Amino acid sequence: MKKRAWYFAVLALAVLMIGSLFAGCQPAEKEAEDYTIIVGLSQTIMTLDPANHRDRVTETVIRNIYDGLVTRKPDGTVVPEIAESWTNPDPLTWEFKIRSGIKFHNGSDLTVEDVKFTFDRVIQEGAMEGETSPRKGLMGPVTEVEIVGDDTIRFVLKKPWPILLAMLPHQQIVSKAYVEEVGSDIATKPMGCGPFKFVEGSIDERIVLERFDDYYGGSPEIPPVGPAPAKRVIFEFMPEVSTRIAALQGGDVHIIHNIPPDMVSTLEADPNVIVKTVEGTRMHMFEMNVTKPPFDDVRVRQAVNYAIDMDAIVKNVLSGYGTVVAGPLLPHGFARDPDLKPYGYDPAKAKKLLEEAGYADGFELVIDTTDELKDVVYAAASMLADVGIEATVRTWDWGVLKEQLLAGERMMCFGNWGNSTLDPSDLLVPKLRSNDRGNYSHYSNPELDALLDAAEVETDREVRKTLYYQAQAIIYEDAPWVFSYVGREIEACRSNVENWQPSTDSRINLHRVKLK
Amino acid sequence: MQAAKIAERILIAIPVVIGIGIIIFLIMRLTPGDPVDIMMGQAGHVSAREIELLTEQWHLNEPLHIQLGYFLRDLARGDLGTSFTKGRPVWDLIKGALPATLELALGAAIFALLLAIPIGVISAVKQNSFIDRASMTVAFFGICMPVFYLGIILMLVFSVKMGVLPTYGRISYEVMLHKVTGFYMLDSIITGNWAALGSTLKHLILPSITLGFPMAAIVARVMRSSMLEVLRNDYVVMARAKGLREFSVIVKHAMRNAMIPTVTVIGLEIGMLLGGNMIVETVFSWPGLGRLVVNSIFVRDYPLVQGVVMVYAFTFVAANLVVDILYTYINPKISI
Repeated sequence: MKKRAWYFAVLALAVLMIGSLFAGCQPAEKEAEDYTIIVGLSQTIMTLDPANHRDRVTETVIRNIYDGLVTRKPDGTVVPEIAESWTNPDPLTWEFKIRSGIKFHNGSDLTVEDVKFTFDRVIQEGAMEGETSPRKGLMGPVTEVEIVGDDTIRFVLKKPWPILLAMLPHQQIVSKAYVEEVGSDIATKPMGCGPFKFVEGSIDERIVLERFDDYYGGSPEIPPVGPAPAKRVIFEFMPEVSTRIAALQGGDVHIIHNIPPDMVSTLEADPNVIVKTVEGTRMHMFEMNVTKPPFDDVRVRQAVNYAIDMDAIVKNVLSGYGTVVAGPLLPHGFARDPDLKPYGYDPAKAKKLLEEAGYADGFELVIDTTDELKDVVYAAASMLADVGIEATVRTWDWGVLKEQLLAGERMMCFGNWGNSTLDPSDLLVPKLRSNDRGNYSHYSNPELDALLDAAEVETDREVRKTLYYQAQAIIYEDAPWVFSYVGREIEACRSNVENWQPSTDSRINLHRVKLK
Repeated sequence: MQAAKIAERILIAIPVVIGIGIIIFLIMRLTPGDPVDIMMGQAGHVSAREIELLTEQWHLNEPLHIQLGYFLRDLARGDLGTSFTKGRPVWDLIKGALPATLELALGAAIFALLLAIPIGVISAVKQNSFIDRASMTVAFFGICMPVFYLGIILMLVFSVKMGVLPTYGRISYEVMLHKVTGFYMLDSIITGNWAALGSTLKHLILPSITLGFPMAAIVARVMRSSMLEVLRNDYVVMARAKGLREFSVIVKHAMRNAMIPTVTVIGLEIGMLLGGNMIVETVFSWPGLGRLVVNSIFVRDYPLVQGVVMVYAFTFVAANLVVDILYTYINPKISI
């Protein structure tokens, strides 16, 4: 008898489960005003606290909940957001006038107090419940933030910093009262003044946001201004690229990013999908260890620049989704010298230079890289073979490789460096100033150091440009890198997504995105 | 008596888990790669002062034995530390991810067993028949097939082409499940949200098949061979001689005995399910422990890796304990 009751219970549960499979099938009715936009991101995010991470994808999500004093247009130009206007009365002072009538998601008004609190939390040591923000360095030499009247805030700098404006979009304004109330829980329950408010979700599962109806409208320079058209946006975390693509093609998500070039043709063949690309900000380069033979000889470094056919690599390995660079700066960035031309593919010249340097028979070489970049390196290695350089490729876990690079133990590595401000400062200084943090080529040139240091504090745009022109000329000639390419950011959306453009800094801002 | 022995086994698991924690602690720190530097990424505007402060905050400036001391002290307080990259207590992160992993492992195990045991038994009874050959070929295929490939193929067929099953995640947002335990099937039943139960099951199908397929293959082969062994025994002949129905001979007399080696394999395989799900969780964007730990290894998030590996170790030990307890039910002659 007892057994039979069990059978019935199991049977009933099975029927229920099968029935519920169909219950979930009814598509939710979507009214014009009530749609959800789903974005498939290529990684989980670190936190929802704007001051406690160093991660671009994390910032992408946070930026839909929070606004900054300023923001960037998709092409990278800095425009006002919470700040209405700004002045730079002297090189050590910046003043920002705050727009009035901005509300946080909990209904409270945004004041200069909140702005000051936000920046103090970032720049002051131990300001986050005893810990220091890992975003402190992004505020450079800003030492103090002062309130000047009801609607103006002043940044005081230790030394002039011409790229303050370019760096400011990376900071988002939090509510002082709210952070003081919830403390470190801001990492899981964010509350800002951006176009969407947080509803539910976690940094490992999904983030669900809903339109903030009292939104002040965002930057007037990026129309249309006003509350977001989408009722709801969801960020899903999909580290596997095949899954992102399948989810987009299957209609489960509306927007995906970080698509490798070789997958583009699959997506372009799908009539329900539109692929969009934009010039990226990651500079790719082969870095040669200039302290050791054979790369201690500038002729060898130049020879390698001539021996690698970068146009062919971009065309064939990247399916054309990249731009070959002439020298160390982004083609669309500030202060790039338009007179510099790429080295170009010239194996005869490469051989001649190698001969002059005493390497007529070539040499053996190991090129180090990480897994996702290896295809480019294999292509380059085969080209080097044509001029007698026998190159093998070694792929590494990045953390392991980096220590060896900094110790100067490797010969040549291929990697990239982010330059989202489009300003030479955060590319050339860490990569090529003597002993700086990302200087894997161990290049050290007092003349270049002096130029870079001068440009760091030079506020006259034209003078600064000239300094960088001079710096570029030196780097171009000394060739510590094989100047390679900037890849295009490849993103894709369903064909019914309107008003969405990928940004050059790879942020996905959904404020203005609509569904047809 | 039995209970005391089980309690003893559980107590033995504690030093095992702590030992594994210490080993992982050392391995992570001996692996090259600086967590602070990796967190700051390949980008500009990182000040030396900032690096110094973070290194101090995470005690990375202290000698190894002092760091180990901190780790053990926190462990004694039941604190697994705070994740470097996510800035939150490791236990909170694990608590969020563990139900997802267990639910998937359970789904995979159920799929595997429902498929494998009947196939194993039928193959043995009808040895060398077409069914036997066909199912063993499929089983061989299952053992060889890499799970990420199987997962993507299933996704392309059932999600992209046919559009009947979802491509990612645990549940559709639209069903509005109120989370109680974190086990979505349980939560949907508790809250009576049948749409959520449907959505959970639908999301569970492809990952469970992907994860469970290799296990099904192995279990089916083991079940088949141990059934073949048992069917040759005298007591089976005796049972048949008594005039029992064939079904009864096979299920009650033979299968029960053939289950003993099979259960051993199942126990090990369940441990493997937890390990193997790193790939399946990544492919199906499943918010479980596997996905959590993979990324934290690359970014050298020491506390998070330590915590997750200790949880893995614990579940592995627990799965084997459950298997040992099961033995005693299947064959009362065996004791723990």
